[in-house]
Amino acid sequence: MKINYKLQDRFDLGVFLPVVGLIIFGLLAIYSSTVHHPTASGNFAKQLFFLFVSLFGFLVALFLPTQTIKTMAIPFYLVSLFFLLAVLLVGKTVYGAKSWFGIGGFGFQPSEVAKLGTILILSYWLTYKSRDINNIKDLLVALVIGIVPVLLIMLEPDMGTSIVFAIITLVLIFWSGISLFGLFVVLSPGFVVFASLFGGVAFSIALLCVVAALFFFKRDLFNSITIFVINLASGFFFDYVFKILKPHQQKRIETFLDPLADLLGAGYNALQAKVAIGSGGLLGKGFLQGNQTQLRFIPEQWTDFIYCVIGEEFGFIGSISVVILFAILFVRLLNIAGGAKDKFSVLVVVGILTLLFSHFAINIGMNLGITPVIGLPLPFLSYGGSSLMMNMFMIGLVLNIYRNRKMHT
Amino acid sequence: MNDNAFGSPARKRILFVVVVGFVLLSCAQLFNMQIINAPTYSERSDENSVKPVYQTAPRGVFYDRNRQVLVGNKPSFTLRITPSTYKDSLSPYIEAVLGFSPGYINKILKANESYSKYIPRRIAKDVSFKVIAWYEENASKLPGVDYVMETQRDYSFGVTGAHMFGYAKEIPLNILQKRKDEYMMGDEIGFAGLEKTYEDILRGEKGINYMLIDSRQKTIGRYKDGEEDAKTIKGYDLVLTIDKDAQRVAEQSFRDRRGAVVAIEPSTGEILAFLSSPEFNLDDFAKVTSSEVWKNLNENPDKPMLNRASMGYYSPGSTFKMVSAIAALNEGIIDSSYRISCNGGYQFGDRFFKCLHVHGSVDLETSIEHSCNTYYYSLVNKLGLETWSKYAKKFGFGVKSGLDINEEKDGIVPSTKYYDRVYGKRGWTKGFVISLGIGQGELSVTPLQLAQYAALLGNYGKSAKPHFLKAYIETETNKKIDVKPQYYDIGINHHAFDIVRRAMWKVVNGAGTATNIKSPDLNISGKTGTAQNPHGKEHSVFVGFAPYDNPKIAVAVIVENAGFGSVAAAPVARDVIKAYLQKGSVDKILSSYSIASANSGTKKNEN
Repeated sequence: MKINYKLQDRFDLGVFLPVVGLIIFGLLAIYSSTVHHPTASGNFAKQLFFLFVSLFGFLVALFLPTQTIKTMAIPFYLVSLFFLLAVLLVGKTVYGAKSWFGIGGFGFQPSEVAKLGTILILSYWLTYKSRDINNIKDLLVALVIGIVPVLLIMLEPDMGTSIVFAIITLVLIFWSGISLFGLFVVLSPGFVVFASLFGGVAFSIALLCVVAALFFFKRDLFNSITIFVINLASGFFFDYVFKILKPHQQKRIETFLDPLADLLGAGYNALQAKVAIGSGGLLGKGFLQGNQTQLRFIPEQWTDFIYCVIGEEFGFIGSISVVILFAILFVRLLNIAGGAKDKFSVLVVVGILTLLFSHFAINIGMNLGITPVIGLPLPFLSYGGSSLMMNMFMIGLVLNIYRNRKMHT
Repeated sequence: MNDNAFGSPARKRILFVVVVGFVLLSCAQLFNMQIINAPTYSERSDENSVKPVYQTAPRGVFYDRNRQVLVGNKPSFTLRITPSTYKDSLSPYIEAVLGFSPGYINKILKANESYSKYIPRRIAKDVSFKVIAWYEENASKLPGVDYVMETQRDYSFGVTGAHMFGYAKEIPLNILQKRKDEYMMGDEIGFAGLEKTYEDILRGEKGINYMLIDSRQKTIGRYKDGEEDAKTIKGYDLVLTIDKDAQRVAEQSFRDRRGAVVAIEPSTGEILAFLSSPEFNLDDFAKVTSSEVWKNLNENPDKPMLNRASMGYYSPGSTFKMVSAIAALNEGIIDSSYRISCNGGYQFGDRFFKCLHVHGSVDLETSIEHSCNTYYYSLVNKLGLETWSKYAKKFGFGVKSGLDINEEKDGIVPSTKYYDRVYGKRGWTKGFVISLGIGQGELSVTPLQLAQYAALLGNYGKSAKPHFLKAYIETETNKKIDVKPQYYDIGINHHAFDIVRRAMWKVVNGAGTATNIKSPDLNISGKTGTAQNPHGKEHSVFVGFAPYDNPKIAVAVIVENAGFGSVAAAPVARDVIKAYLQKGSVDKILSSYSIASANSGTKKNEN
């Protein structure tokens, strides 16, 4: 047992084994949903290839020196932004969103890389020397860092991914110790802009709420007025920006805000997903035996609806296993964050945890019909090279941080 | 939140609660769906599955500029086979009924093997009612076989236009894999010509009917009484710039000949007629094209698949003389009174370049009227290769015009750089340049470029990019959306055009080389050409425009191996012009073809 102890000391199996389990579930489901498919039958082989490349990325991340991780934060972020901008100009359109680069027979999604870029730079910025998140200047910079990729991805338009970016930014600021008042300052303009989309009355009510909250916080008059003006301005600014956009760009934002507008497509998929999962029962219909999967009631099932394949063919046992594997992974990540050797490493792990969890929650929620239909891949299971590679790279980083944690905790 | 420290236990606890809370919620929902409600969902899955059934949308129709139908649609029966329930032993019977060679069905099924076996394959399109009646009678003995009503292209409106219309075909696997989010197996996609260029608006949107099916794929009703179904949206109709009368005359006049006709509205670049002859039969492409048809088309020595009108390379012959004339006038190298003496040719170094006659003293106008070669040997030498080449390019030679079909080539306009590349810096002499003056040598142009050139000559250097699409009609709103021409001006002095145009008028209406097509009511101006060709008799070429004062149509005609320009090409040009300018004349012109097809024009010497 001594050897095992030593291994666990340097390599956390509580993270690694659940990931392995999830990948195996993913491969089975991809095989099942694509093997008889006219155009996607090569996807299983492609995913194996992606997995192979991902393992390489995983090993690289595992042995990167901590200082290198820090120094790569800024270039990584800037390169991500460049790619996000470039994809809007020259990317190819897949399912109505411009979020892909085509390289040979493969596609590459820059937003996947940008996720890690944003986590790294926020972690770096928020923990650099004597940063104080309750200082308005420091907070503002952090927000700008987080919002730029959100805006770029909104233009693709990819609603799911920009939500993930917003959540990551919020959680990292939250973890850094922002006060309740600070949180209010951060969230209120978003709330006002959102309300403004529903017309003048909603906009006015939202502004009244902001005034009420300002009375509650009892800050000095100057600060209160400033915050109110920012809220007011952001409402009008958004309206102004919206008006100067070209019609097709306006349409994109409308689609972004209302993914349910395409009720037929989304409603049909959501219903079929529930039927597939529910009909799996306790033990499932068996590998390659799910009629919903094999008859392809859900298009592109190997991407965002991969969880249905597991639900249908492996039943309650299979689908609950996937949830439990994710739960183990998340709890371990939270513990590793607590034991990391410096604040930067802590935030990186928290950011990665947030990223994986928000994907998990939005995807599973959609498959189970408890959240709206928002397209996002399920980490480690959905078909897709960019996402698998980045996820494995991030797991490598987490294990790297674990290996270099502070001792005796 | 009392604790505002970095990563405080309170904040860690909040994250923990969110994560575990959501996990528990998911578990509860899984338990609810897969244990408590599993029987309900199973029932739905086994008995009430919903399956989308797609209906193909009819493609948009092609109209001519006066809203006459050029290409339409007609309903047709398509026989299909679904491999999951089909038995191969049936193939010989079906092949016998359809009149196909044995093994035909197997070949189609083999070719589509990689698709899901639940998707039906089209075996034969446009099958006769007799076959359908036979199927209906024997349906119970033919598992996996069915038929659907589809629309198919209808080419029975009096024009062929194979090269410009192009065709649509079932999407091949390699394209499908690239565009799988837009197309499904069995969909048609534009492959050539206008069908390809305007595929996105022509194809329309498929209709979807959501059907309830059981686990054996039997349809048992409509899902939600069809309230989520999507209606088929027909593709947008195209209003083309083509004039049906002019197109018909062009096609009929070329019945047994090889060559091309392109007619353009000079001020707008609208293509009025576009013919490459011989053509291929578009009907062959509307069905499942058999390999015999492909073989015949590809092995035919007349190359019917080649789009001569915009991809064929020809020497323009004497029709190119106006390029040198305009260049020299515009550059101020000569004026209209500049004369040379023609003694039957031009001595350059130790080579003698021949003219067909001894013209004596010739000025610019007579040089065009009588097509004197000596004048242009000397003029191109005066101009120099670079200036000549610059003006040829101004008129659109050597570059693609940007036509709205894919099948276009740029041609060759030699320049110093070109000769250096082909022959090496010292491998060519100035003698190469002399024959360019009369449109021979390494100059290659397409009939489309010649028509564009005629349009520019007729309209004083102002025109628009040649194009086929005048407008399209949005199916949803029935609104006509006009397509704006892309105007341009090549920026040449008005006076230069005045002189050259007058000379071109004299070619037809004076004592020139094409007086055989003189018709006062049309007032045609033009220029003949006789293009040498290494593979046989010269090609007959004519470019022109009409009426002289305010041209409404510019034409280029090339008839392969037909000799002098006035003999074969000029009369075709006249008939196309007449059909367009004099509405109602078309029947008379067409009937004259059927009476006397061998009645060739009067012989005249020219070059």
